[in-house]
Amino acid sequence: MVSGRLRFDSSHPTQFIDITDRLREHVRRAGLVTGRLHLQSLHTTLGLAINENEPLLLRDFQSMLERLAPGDVTYLHDDFSRRIDVALDEPVNGHAHCRQLLVSGFATLLVEEGDLVLGRWQSVFAVELDGPRQRQLALQLDGDFDDLVELELSRQLRADPEPIASPMRRLVEAGGKRMRPRLVQLTAQLGPQYEPLRAASLAAAIEILHNATLVHDDYVDESPYRRGRPTVAAAEGAERAIAVGDYYFAKATRLIAETGNPDVTQTIAAALEAICESQIDDVALRGAFPGDHDSYLRVVRGKTAALFSAACASGAQLSNAGPEVVEALRRYGDLLGVAFQMADDMVDFSPSSGKPVGLDIRQRVLSLPLIYAAEDRQVGPEVRRLLSGSLGDEEVARVAELVTASDALQRVGDEARALVEEAVSELERVELNGLRPTLIGLARSAVDRAS
Amino acid sequence: MSTAVLDRELQRLEGLWADGLSETYRSYLEEVATHAPDVQPRLALAAALVEVGLRLQGLGSAAAPPAALLMGDLCLARSSRILTDSATRSVQIAFARAVEELSGAAASRVESRPVRELLVRALAAH
Repeated sequence: MVSGRLRFDSSHPTQFIDITDRLREHVRRAGLVTGRLHLQSLHTTLGLAINENEPLLLRDFQSMLERLAPGDVTYLHDDFSRRIDVALDEPVNGHAHCRQLLVSGFATLLVEEGDLVLGRWQSVFAVELDGPRQRQLALQLDGDFDDLVELELSRQLRADPEPIASPMRRLVEAGGKRMRPRLVQLTAQLGPQYEPLRAASLAAAIEILHNATLVHDDYVDESPYRRGRPTVAAAEGAERAIAVGDYYFAKATRLIAETGNPDVTQTIAAALEAICESQIDDVALRGAFPGDHDSYLRVVRGKTAALFSAACASGAQLSNAGPEVVEALRRYGDLLGVAFQMADDMVDFSPSSGKPVGLDIRQRVLSLPLIYAAEDRQVGPEVRRLLSGSLGDEEVARVAELVTASDALQRVGDEARALVEEAVSELERVELNGLRPTLIGLARSAVDRAS
Repeated sequence: MSTAVLDRELQRLEGLWADGLSETYRSYLEEVATHAPDVQPRLALAAALVEVGLRLQGLGSAAAPPAALLMGDLCLARSSRILTDSATRSVQIAFARAVEELSGAAASRVESRPVRELLVRALAAH
């Protein structure tokens, strides 16, 4: 689902404004292949109509509206002495409201093969009944979209030399939640210069950057598997893993620089620096495993939340959204990123996740459930004792059992959900072009997941 | 380079500065003379960070241990951020292409041009 607004100015009291080409452009830019475009007037004196764009016919329509709801007769709506709560600038427009009853305030148009399904003589009109005014229509597109990010990812990975590209292709094609590119694609719709192809390029570059950091992480963590497949380091050796990580780190920063938007470049560069700093902290903290809540938050803010936050902010910056929107999204992404990592930590204890339980314990990765279990009055002493020794299968299973038996997972879940609500509240003060429900849904689904 | 700039850009890299980064930085200073005077130190530092970072990681030779790899990553990230603050888009892109060439060659186990040659060319891309 893609939402948006179509804004325009009318120039006459009654006017049929042909919006067909602009709607076609919306469909094309959104990459909608087959589906529906829903339109809704956001005004009580602006209608929608599908008819022929023939100038004399449009004058006939105007005459018809004038005959059926004349502008020079009396309307109770215009008797301000009898109405309550009348605004100072209330117009005399009873006739316009009545005329709006004769044309619809909403329409659904079918889309096939990436274009509106319209007959030879059909055009779509916004019908101004009380102009001139600034107007807007709400749009929603649903159906099957070209997945522009996947296409762009595939295009970028096809262009690279094989020894570099094939390990990254395996990693990218193995899946991943694509949260960061999704955030870019959504937030890129919030500014006046939304261009889906540019948004898809940025989204793909951020996903490549994320995967490049994973390649090095997996070597550092000695992880044998990622997304159910051998890691690049495990499959190809450490030397190649380092080269692949470096290559895609550089390529992603180049693609981002090529967007030509300095704000975007700076946002991503700052995030990347934060990620690298927190990776060093993360490894350093393993000496004090499982660590404490403050250290956890400090590391996670850099390791995970920095790129979430940058994805949200950079999408908005790419489309030239206002600074208040960019900053609200930056905070939203930061809080969402921390909550996402907490949910990820909980998955390590879920037998239904499809991943081996206790991988974080075995690899001594910073994990909030472990921190809370280690602090727990009942299970804490045994958890701390086990974590301070060598961790074989038996010890890992016992720690996982103790964490599950304590209220640690409940506490982490509550904390993650509270952060999501805090993230959602960051969106309340800014105009989001109808995207608020999508961003809220995305945030809530990020923590209510099993894998 | 002023103390304030040094303080900011070398945070967490102080050990590297004492351990050879300063010499590498100075060697690049003479390569940035055609840039505006106020950005010359930053560009020289960005180049030095790439050279030192890749060396720390062991790119093209034996893989570095995790701690050194992560420090190398930080050098590359810091360099990238300095470039976004101080360099033209052409220089940023040329630096990225230099690292792409070096890491691509390393992954393919083929000889690449020397790091310094690529970075000096990147500095001239403005």
